[in-house]
Parts: sequence; C-alpha cells; structure tokens
Amino acid sequence: MLLDPAIRNWVLIPIMLVMVLVGIVRHYVTVLLNGTPKKADLKSARETKALQRAAILRAHGSHLPEQAFQARKSYLSEAFEKGTYLKDPIGSNKPKGNLMSDPAYVETMMDGMKKNIMNIVPQTVIMGWINFFFSGFVLIQLPFPLTIRFKSMLQRGIETQDMDVTWVSSLSWYFLNLFGLQSVFTLILGSGHAADAMRDMQAMSTMGMGAAAGPQMGPTGQPQDMHKIFLGEKENLDLAEHEWGLDDVETRLLVKYGKKPRSVLVDKRTKALAAASASAAGASSSTPPAALAATAAARSKKARRQV
Amino acid sequence: MVNAAKVLQDLRASAERKPDVVVRLGKPLVESGAVMKLDADAWLVYEQVAIAALDVGDDALAQKCIQALETKFPGSPRVRRLNGMELEAKGELLEAAKIYKAILEEDETNVLAAKRQVMLLRAMGMNAEAIAALVKYLDINYPDFEGWLQLADMYMEEFMYAQAAFCMEEVLMLQPQNHIFHLRYAEILYTQDNVQLALKQFCRVVELCKDHVRGLYGIKLCTSRLLKSSPSKDATATSQEDLKAIDLLATERLLAVYSAGSAASAKSASTKWIEHL
Repeated sequence: MLLDPAIRNWVLIPIMLVMVLVGIVRHYVTVLLNGTPKKADLKSARETKALQRAAILRAHGSHLPEQAFQARKSYLSEAFEKGTYLKDPIGSNKPKGNLMSDPAYVETMMDGMKKNIMNIVPQTVIMGWINFFFSGFVLIQLPFPLTIRFKSMLQRGIETQDMDVTWVSSLSWYFLNLFGLQSVFTLILGSGHAADAMRDMQAMSTMGMGAAAGPQMGPTGQPQDMHKIFLGEKENLDLAEHEWGLDDVETRLLVKYGKKPRSVLVDKRTKALAAASASAAGASSSTPPAALAATAAARSKKARRQV
Repeated sequence: MVNAAKVLQDLRASAERKPDVVVRLGKPLVESGAVMKLDADAWLVYEQVAIAALDVGDDALAQKCIQALETKFPGSPRVRRLNGMELEAKGELLEAAKIYKAILEEDETNVLAAKRQVMLLRAMGMNAEAIAALVKYLDINYPDFEGWLQLADMYMEEFMYAQAAFCMEEVLMLQPQNHIFHLRYAEILYTQDNVQLALKQFCRVVELCKDHVRGLYGIKLCTSRLLKSSPSKDATATSQEDLKAIDLLATERLLAVYSAGSAASAKSASTKWIEHL
C-alpha cells in the first residue's frame, strides 16, 4: 500500500519513530520535573473534610435519632458561619489584593506552566517539522474504502477534490500517530505514563491552569473563597430535614417476619402523605409563600408522628 | 505462586487483617525471592507480609521484609513507620514514639504515623492522652470510621457512655449498612438506660441481619423492661400492642434458633433464661 520505498523509509517510518521517541523522552522529563509531590497542608485537608462531614450528615442523617441529628446540624452550621474550620479564621482577614504575593499560588501556577510547556512545545515542533519538510506528501493508502467524510481527517494539508479518500497525507499521519500511539506507550512505559497525547489536547483546549490546579482552585484558576463555600453548605444544612429511618422499625420488623400484613406499612405511608398534603393546603390559604414550605414540612412531620 | 499473589492482592484491597493467612502465603514468596517477579506489587507484598509477620510474632520474617524495603526506599516515611512497628513489637515503645514523632514533624499530614501514635499511647496505658490525640486526628480525618470506632472503644473503657454513643452515631452515618455497628450503638444506649431508643436500634439490627441472636436478646431485654414499667405518654414511643408483638416475636425466633441443631443443655438454659425475663 505504499507509494514508494523511499517515502516509506524516509518519511512514514521516521515520523512514527520520532513521535515514539519524543513521547518517551517527554515521559522521563515530566517525571524529572515533577519531582516530589507537593505536601498537603493539614489545615486545608481539615477544610475539605469539614465540608464532607456536612455532606455526609445531610445524606445519612436519617440513621441518627432526631436529637443527635439536630445537635450535629446546629453545631456544624454555627461552625461554618463562624469559620471555625477555615484555614485562616475570619479574624485575620488579610487583604486579598495581589494573588502573586501568595507563594502557594505562584507555585501552583508555575507547576501548571511547566506542565503545559512540556506538553505543547514538542508537539508544536514536530508539527512544524512535518509541515516544513513533508507538506503535501501522500504517505500510505488504506486497504479499505471510506466515505467522503473522512477526507478532512485523512487528507489534512492536501486540498484536492478528486483524490480517493483512502490516501493519507503526512499531516494526517501525524495526527493518527498522536492519538494512536497511546497503547504503544503503555506497552513501553507501563500504565500511568506521561507521554499521553490526549493530555496535549486538554492542555491546548484549556490553555490555563485548569488541569494543573489543586483542589483549592476554581475552574478559573482563582483560589476560591472557602468561607463562601462554607456558607453555601450551611444553607444546604439548614434546609436539610431529618426523617428518622427507625420511626416505624418495630412495625417493619413485624412485617418482615410475617406477623403483620405488608399493607400496614403502605397504609401508614398513604395516611402520612394525605395528612401532609392536607396541612400544606391549609397552610397555603393563610401564610405567605416564603413561610409556607417550612410550616408544611413541620406539619407533615408532626402528622407522620401522630399516625 | 500466582494464586498466592492474587489472594494477597485481594486481602490488600479489602483491607482485611488476616495475619496468619498472609504469613502462610507470603513467607514462601519472600524467602524464595519469587516476590520480585511481581514487579511493582512486590513492595506492597513486602509491606503486607511485614505487618502480618509482626502480628503473628515472626520477627525474623518481618526484619527481612523491612530490610528489603529499606534498601529500595531509603528514608521513606512509610518504611520508617514499619520500623516503628517493629520496635513496638519488641516492646521498645519509647523508641517507636520517637520515630513517629520524627515522621510527623516532617509531614504533619501523615495519617499512618498519626494513627500509630494514638495506638502507642493506648498501649502505654495513657488512655486520656490517647483519646485527646485521636480526637485531634478525627477532627482532621473525619471520614475514618475505624478511628471513630476506636474512639468509642476508648470512651467505653473510661465509662463515658454519652461520648461513646456520639462516636457510634458517627460510625453509623459513615457505615450505615453494618448491623454490628448498630448493635454496638444499641448496647451503649441500653447501658445508658435509654431503653426506648435501644429497642428501636435492636430492631434495626434484626431487620438488617435476620435472626441475629444478640439483637434478639437485646429486643427481649428492652421489651421486658418496657412492658414492666408504666406505659409512656410520649407519642413517639412504641405502643403497648407493638411491644407485646415484638416481645413475642423475639421469644419465638430465639427458641426457633436454639432448637435448630444445638445441644439440649444449651437449649434448656436459653429457654429458662427467656422465660425468666
């Protein structure tokens, strides 16, 4: 399927070889540059875990008795409001003017820059090399027919209308290699290598710190204001309602062992629902909409208990 | 050999601590040198076997594993923790404490060393200090349910049941599917004389794990006490009718469990106990 042995020997194979070698070199340079991973900071770990704690309380609070849940809820929302878990407590509010003065931020940014340069430079150089020497070359013919839509993929750099789609241009060969060598690298370097071509694509598309940013950075690369996140979580917590999973566990147990018909549970639930909707309807006539949700929730809970 | 490596890997993944199995499978691997065929996994196996060897008291094997790790990763905190554990196994607790302290001074987020430090304090019998250290650790590493379990344990040793109950509540939130944790919580509640709540938790245990004998006994204890006392006015409390039904159910299940293939003496003893309540 080759055009000419000279093209095979001096263009097709060299392009592939160069790409493999560059990938390997890049892997080792990345390993060198990365060095030791940045040490995590105890206080920022505490920050994120505190958020997790609130999330777990919201998700699994139903396993706790009412009192235990309320105690935790009020403790956490107060702590979030006061900023107990913040890395720098609110009291020492330093001016947030210049980000560049924060060494941690500068370091993360430099890290990101290094990685991006490592990704972009070799690819740009190879592409330039191919464009300069082999632009307009046709390298191979695919052994199977393809539809016309593949023309833009396989004949990049050759603007001819009539050539058969199965011919592959040099630039397209480059792209095919870029994406196709993935498994070759895995074979040579083992999994988790840094010669990954897909990373370039990510780096090129974001062009920013996005991929390299730590957990504290938002999508824009700015460090996020943790206090705001905590306040948001506090709001979520305040809205969280407690519905104890053990309210009717005795009945459930009796049903499980067949001492009571299954319909007991269903009856209970429908009754509770009916009571809730009735109370909601009653509330809507008298109270303003803002207070409505809260009262309805409270009443439905009460109703459930009475049933 | 492949099978042994696979079993060891599974044990690592599930974080089960079965030192006897690990030593039995790992010892030939380490001593024949076949472990090096596992490439990157070899070092994990070394670590696993070292800890297991310390557990079963095979100091020579542990020494060998740790030595191998030391030559491969000189100065790594993870290996130094193993050194510390080796010292602990030999009873040189103060030396071990020095190692853990040094690791934590370099990297205060090192979870492994922090946990060892707590257990070291406990081993030295300094329960109050151990509790303080563990509380500090859990303030940062909140989702570590094993830490909370350990803390509950230590509080119970000090008879601080309210605190222990709090810890068990945290465990329940982190691991709601495990009936044994529910059982523990229920027993703490019963000890605190919170019989109403304990009954519900015991019911939960039996709901999660059918015919759980200890849970059934718990139910039996709670119901018999509740039935003897005057009916409570609280609307959330279990109704008398339900109490009787649950009591009956627990008795029935217990008798059924014990009559199915147990010795006659045990059966009569349990029957007597149940009827006595």
